[in-house]
Amino acid sequence: MKLPPRYALKFLRWFCRQDYLEEIEGNLIEIFEAEYEESPPRARANFTRHVIRHFRPAFIRQFKTKNTNSIDMLRHNLVITLRNYLKYKSTFFINIAGLSTGLATVFLVYLWVSDEWNVNRYNSKDDRLYQVMQNITNGDGTIQTGAGTVGVLAEALAIGIPEVEEAVAMVQPSWFNTPSRIVVGDKKLKVPFQFATPNFFKVFDVEVIRGDRQTALDKKYGVLVSETLAQELFNSSDAAIGKMVEWRWEETSHAYEITGVFRLPDNVTEHYDVLANYELFLERKDWLRDWGSSDPNTFVLLKSGTDVAAAERKIDEMIKKKDPHHEKALFLQLYADRYLYGHYEGGKVAGGRIEYVRLFIVIAIVILSIACINFMNLSTARATRRLKEIGVKKAIGARKGSLTVQFLTESMALSWLSAFVALILVWLLLPGFNTLTGKYITLNIDPGLWLAVIAIVTLTGFVSGSYPALYLSRFKTGEVLKGKLRTTFGELIARKGLVTFQYIMSFVLIVGVIVIYRQVNYVQATKLGYNREHIIHFDLEVEPNDDPQYFRPGGGWELHVESMMNELRKADGVTSVANFYHDVTGDHGGLGGVNWEPGDRDEKMGFNNLEVGFDFIPTLGVEIVQGRNYSREFANERAKIILNETAIKMMGLKDPVGYTIKVWGKDREIIGVVKDFHYESLYTQVKPCLIQLESGAPKIMVKLDGTRMQEGIEAVRRIYEQRNAGLAFEYRFLDDDYNALYASEQKVSTLSQIFAGLAILISCLGLYGLTAFTVERRMKEICVRKVFGASSVSIMRLLTSEFTWLVSLAMLIGVPVIWVLATSWLNAFAYRTSLAWWYFVAGGAVIFLITIVTVSLNMVKAAGVNPAVSLRSE
Amino acid sequence: MKEHSLGEFEELVLLMVAALHDQAYGVLILESLEEKLKKKFNISAVHVALKRLDDKGFVKSRYGGITSDRGGRRKKYYVITALGKKVLDNQYSLRTSIYMQIPKISFS
Repeated sequence: MKLPPRYALKFLRWFCRQDYLEEIEGNLIEIFEAEYEESPPRARANFTRHVIRHFRPAFIRQFKTKNTNSIDMLRHNLVITLRNYLKYKSTFFINIAGLSTGLATVFLVYLWVSDEWNVNRYNSKDDRLYQVMQNITNGDGTIQTGAGTVGVLAEALAIGIPEVEEAVAMVQPSWFNTPSRIVVGDKKLKVPFQFATPNFFKVFDVEVIRGDRQTALDKKYGVLVSETLAQELFNSSDAAIGKMVEWRWEETSHAYEITGVFRLPDNVTEHYDVLANYELFLERKDWLRDWGSSDPNTFVLLKSGTDVAAAERKIDEMIKKKDPHHEKALFLQLYADRYLYGHYEGGKVAGGRIEYVRLFIVIAIVILSIACINFMNLSTARATRRLKEIGVKKAIGARKGSLTVQFLTESMALSWLSAFVALILVWLLLPGFNTLTGKYITLNIDPGLWLAVIAIVTLTGFVSGSYPALYLSRFKTGEVLKGKLRTTFGELIARKGLVTFQYIMSFVLIVGVIVIYRQVNYVQATKLGYNREHIIHFDLEVEPNDDPQYFRPGGGWELHVESMMNELRKADGVTSVANFYHDVTGDHGGLGGVNWEPGDRDEKMGFNNLEVGFDFIPTLGVEIVQGRNYSREFANERAKIILNETAIKMMGLKDPVGYTIKVWGKDREIIGVVKDFHYESLYTQVKPCLIQLESGAPKIMVKLDGTRMQEGIEAVRRIYEQRNAGLAFEYRFLDDDYNALYASEQKVSTLSQIFAGLAILISCLGLYGLTAFTVERRMKEICVRKVFGASSVSIMRLLTSEFTWLVSLAMLIGVPVIWVLATSWLNAFAYRTSLAWWYFVAGGAVIFLITIVTVSLNMVKAAGVNPAVSLRSE
Repeated sequence: MKEHSLGEFEELVLLMVAALHDQAYGVLILESLEEKLKKKFNISAVHVALKRLDDKGFVKSRYGGITSDRGGRRKKYYVITALGKKVLDNQYSLRTSIYMQIPKISFS
């Protein structure tokens, strides 16, 4: 068959003016046919060439359609839309309910994500502001990443590395175990505090509302206070400037001048009310000048246009030169990124919160797309109802384009209507959402937010409307008017594919929720190796004392702690009392420099360091597997040490009790070994741990009698308040601390349950709509079957079989998807539950059940119909 | 008189339309020109020239009947108008009059 090239001809027909098309096309074909006799390929090539030669202004048609009644058309479209809503109320309701829930989810997630994204992102120089992170390689080859660096690193970097514009050393509030006290007259307040080098304000955009930005932090005995603190102490920021206050942190007390008042940005992780000169801190902790130490945080502002990798290399080389004894490596991470990318593996950034951000974005999109799919399915399924309308319009001369516009108008109108409902929903739900996520999100009139809303809504309208619009406008006029609608195989596949997609998503979400829930439960139920129930803890008030002997071992402070504990032990409802340093659940100082064998392998191994009083181990119920606990009966217990099993295993000691090791050059005899207990989150493996005696540790832990909790707490409160007049008794449950470790998992668990519920709800709505439609269309068939004696059950089976297949297919696809996702999520935990087959079965069963319930709701309608009524009307 | 101007190729096409009288359509014009001038042309050039002649009112057109050739497309036949003929006459007389002025010199 000699046919000219299809695409060339298509192109010609597309661009050519109508009045010349026939002539040109005819001539070209004539030439083509003549040439074809000689050489088909050349004829084809020439044809294409000729077409292209005709692509010139003289023959190109006008592309602008001159539509003079666009406003009338829009009005017409809206009227038709409205009539359709009124006529098919259930479809309208399903669509509005689905889309508005979907949009509300997307809006909420958008608010949450943008809030997460902006955490710590308040500095104008964010793109050049890096935090120096430190990797320490342990003896066993594992790499530990931390933000603690050498105390004098900032100083050295500013001098030694040309790329560094400013280097700030900082000790942040979270580093300290106890807040400081500020005393003015008879006012005594607990305040969180931070130390920073004077160039702090050159790098961080913390607002200084009173005082001089440049010099406020220069004075050693000068501090800046927050606006709220100034308000509380002196009733105004102005009055605070220049005032002298007594400020106590750790065991120091001194008079400081208030040199400035600052205001912290809203969305930050570290909150403090006092900002003091770093020099003070370094002076007190002299050992931080040593290059083997690591505690304060270091931030560097690189010069603009610097090669970051090169700067990083230089910084790393510097530490290797200065501290060759440890296997330390430094690297840079953007300060603004640290919040979202705060998880490290093998010394490299390995995600963090960003994973939850991604997860929720995906979930929000999935939920919205399920709602969009509902719209698509319902509109294409109901196309038969609108055949006449489309046919008549086409016969009168409506072009495909204008029909497309009509259906898009319909979906746009619907999505805007849903957006309106969604915004009301968001407004109503926001307080609850804030409690759930622990955030303070408000619905501000922020142009970025509204732009996002407009974009999301328009996109939703477009996506959900595009398929029906294209599908409906493609019908052939003649066939449509005759009432014939041939459903092609492709269309069926498309609709079923969309339903299957919905099923897959719901299935994945349900099983995902089960996995998350199980893991969170597992974490809570895991035996930690200690008993965390009925234990409260609080900080002792450390009064300054000029006597240098006071804080030494056996000094006045220790006696004070002992007497306090003795009094507590006698109180009602108290079972036992102990004191300790640091947190049981959280941050433990790392420690190296432990010797137990020749060579320096041992020196490099990192230990965690718990400093505890005599009664810590029995109070927590930690099991001693070998040897004994510290005891008041023996003298010189501070020269002894207790280790955990992991430590012993790593050290490779056969008979540890009685063995003497060196800790920081001092001899320590091992007197006991405790069973491993999870003193950190279950994300991490139990690390080797030293338990040292510090009988003067200022944190008190009280184990209460489980049956008389309230009494016990009251008794402890009375004793505390007697001894610390004017200070409120603040305590925490160890249980709460422990749960706080998994706060983000808890939130994810709750949120994912809600989201999964929403997804299922929306899918159900869609399914309900679809089955209702099927039942309606097949009513005659059903009635005929009934007349012939079919039972309700067999009709039910008939109608559900279609969906059963789809559900099975969805599960077949869903299982591997979940397998991959869940495994990678669980792998982040060192101690985790495993995937069980019944999760999948349960998920599948839930979906089946929901499908059957949804379908049978419609079946009741069909079953109740009197066949005579339905069959009579023809 | 801009609208009465006539390019060289346009003049050839117009002449050919006149010569082929009532049988002139795109491909035939093209082939006849190629034959006379012993030179290949692109059909698009003929189309453009015809369009311009039409716009200027030198030719008029009508459609022939549908045949099974040409993919069922009708031929568009062109005939010269009175105005077209006048322009050709003018052109011809102008050229002849100037030609006559050439002195009888031997060019050999």
